[in-house]
Amino acid sequence: MFLGSSAVMNRLKVVSRHLSPSRAEFQSCSARAPADPQDVVIVHGLRTPIGRAKRGSFKDTTPDELLSAVMTAVLRDVGLTPNKLGDVCVGNVLQPGAGAVMARIAQFISGFPETVPVYTVNRQCSSGLQALFNIAGGIRNGFYDLGLACGVESMSLRSVGNPGDLSSRLMDSEKARECLIPMGITSENVAERYGVTREKQDSFACSSQHKAAQAQKQGLFEKEIVPVTTKFVDENGAERTITVTKDDGIRPGTTLAGLAKLRPAFKEDGSTTAGNASQVSDGAAAVLMGRRFAVEALGLPVLGILRAGAVVGVPPDVMGIGPAYAIPAALEKAGLSVNDVDVFEINEAFASQVVYCVEKLGIPMEKVNPNGGAIALGHPLGCTGARQVVTLLNELKRRGRRAYGVVSMCIGTGMGAAAVIEYPGP
Amino acid sequence: MKWFRFPARHGYAVEISPFLPNILACATAQYYGIAGCGTLLVLEQRESDIVLMRSFDWNDGLFDVTWSENNEHVLVTGAGDGSLQIWDTANPQGPIRVLKEHTQEVYAVDWSQTRTENLVVSGSWDHTAKVWDPERPQSVCTLQGHEGVIYSTIWSPHIPACFASASGDGTLRVWDVKAGSCRLAIPAHKAEILSCDWCKYDQNVLATGAVDCSVCVWDLRNVRQPVAQMLGHSYAVRRIKFSPFYKTVLASCSYDFTVRVWDFSRSPPLLDTMEHHSEFVCGLDFDLHIPNQMVDCSWDETVKIYTPPGLTAMQPSSA
Repeated sequence: MFLGSSAVMNRLKVVSRHLSPSRAEFQSCSARAPADPQDVVIVHGLRTPIGRAKRGSFKDTTPDELLSAVMTAVLRDVGLTPNKLGDVCVGNVLQPGAGAVMARIAQFISGFPETVPVYTVNRQCSSGLQALFNIAGGIRNGFYDLGLACGVESMSLRSVGNPGDLSSRLMDSEKARECLIPMGITSENVAERYGVTREKQDSFACSSQHKAAQAQKQGLFEKEIVPVTTKFVDENGAERTITVTKDDGIRPGTTLAGLAKLRPAFKEDGSTTAGNASQVSDGAAAVLMGRRFAVEALGLPVLGILRAGAVVGVPPDVMGIGPAYAIPAALEKAGLSVNDVDVFEINEAFASQVVYCVEKLGIPMEKVNPNGGAIALGHPLGCTGARQVVTLLNELKRRGRRAYGVVSMCIGTGMGAAAVIEYPGP
Repeated sequence: MKWFRFPARHGYAVEISPFLPNILACATAQYYGIAGCGTLLVLEQRESDIVLMRSFDWNDGLFDVTWSENNEHVLVTGAGDGSLQIWDTANPQGPIRVLKEHTQEVYAVDWSQTRTENLVVSGSWDHTAKVWDPERPQSVCTLQGHEGVIYSTIWSPHIPACFASASGDGTLRVWDVKAGSCRLAIPAHKAEILSCDWCKYDQNVLATGAVDCSVCVWDLRNVRQPVAQMLGHSYAVRRIKFSPFYKTVLASCSYDFTVRVWDFSRSPPLLDTMEHHSEFVCGLDFDLHIPNQMVDCSWDETVKIYTPPGLTAMQPSSA
């Protein structure tokens, strides 16, 4: 019988798998790797709802309040007193000095004692994930056993703008000059250079909205969101107290035809629009991490294991391709391949760059952002990475079996970051 | 050592007839089983050589074979196209029945040895196992639960309507056909499990061979850890079989071209290593009639019959 080439390829794949097994090639419901007491594990994570900047629920809320809501709730949920924390790291981009003072104030209004240290980190769109990497590094260095990784951004109160004091010599270096290209233009560059059509971008954006709307309708975000009570000044100038429980950027009625009507936002003949780019937003997220033996000794649960992470550099003028390089780097460190991963949370800075990265890596589209991404939910810069980790682990937990997930994003000025996280199973 | 060469066919499984001491069957495939057709060889072992009695062709690779336990002429094979074939050595025209329900490669077939039933179990890459009454055209039941391909399905020699399966999902499972359900799922290896077999002397003992190069022995009364783990193969263990004569002896063949014989009650457990093949060794059986004699088949186009020197000093177990 003449076998179809797919059957031939499958048999070859099976035999080659027997000869050089990748660590997670077998998909098991209950077989587990022996737990290493030195593993850096994730205990719990939460996020605030994400508000639309300047018009949404958190337009009048300061970032220390958003941060305080998640810091407090994460510890309360697992019954951990804050004095057990060895360090707190907060990703932030837009506050002066990445919000070092804001973070310390958030700690105090959360009732954390002064003995707990805190600092902030700014690696732009990956800051929330960088906070996890930093806390993991502190644990691996032996500095402490438990730490809190957070991310926060208020894009209502601060805008992307002044890059600071720069040398005039930046004009002599092409790469240095390219660091000042507006993000929207880097998206146009990716779309043009790699041939990502407007149709592909709109269709990806539409699907992000629909997935997020579906997830919200099914209540999937309820487990990961901590409701935030805050003040809100309404159109008449009256101040009210509101409790926010839902993301307010999701547009369930999004259609391809509607997206197609939007005008390019950055370039006259461009393809990046307000509809296929991430939303400008406010939000915070926090993730409690620890060394496995300390976590288990305290009777805390293990929700995830940080298996590997990587940050790589790419050309600044097409910074959106970052995940296409960071994901393989992180997977290689974990000894895994794209096939071993069940869910990829790739930040949707722009549909152009996500579509490019997903196609370049050959990731099946159904594995990407199963509950939507920043196009629908919003992209509060410093919060995003930590928010993605929270969303990823909740999704893997819902699926109820041991699995790997990846969190990745592109970074302005030309970088990509990625983390490989294992959900150990119920 | 006696051997038989079958050009352009690669051996996947070999089994000695339970009725006729000198007859054996070998399931083979063309082009290493990756593409092409398959041939079932029925061979006769004579004083000094092995000769071909009959051969049956099928238009996809044949990956496993089992002899009937109630008719000396009947055999069942599992094929790459998802079908099972029932052959009668007295009928050279072709299979007397073809059972087609699996949607992917059938990698395992086994005929029940308990006296009250004549059932065949098949394991497939479609993640299911099916139980068949060879007299009927449709399967008796389909057992689902594995989350990976099934490489091996073997009836318990002691417990009626009970079989074990080994899968790419890293679990060994024990099934109750009467209840139609999985009784036990053991995360036996952190790798794909390619083979399993039951001890012939203790109804609670099973062994597994896996891609992690190890052979593990399990006691179903306490599956938290293996009774024994045997290391030595340098590539994946492709098939294992328990000895019909010794309670603690089993053999394994591997992608490392070797066949090894183990006694898991000893330390170290390795009794013998046979390095007489030049390709992957996929099929293996103990002779039921001649103690210590073994047969194997390899992708190097040969079947070999031999007596491992390490076995001859053993004293048979009493049942």
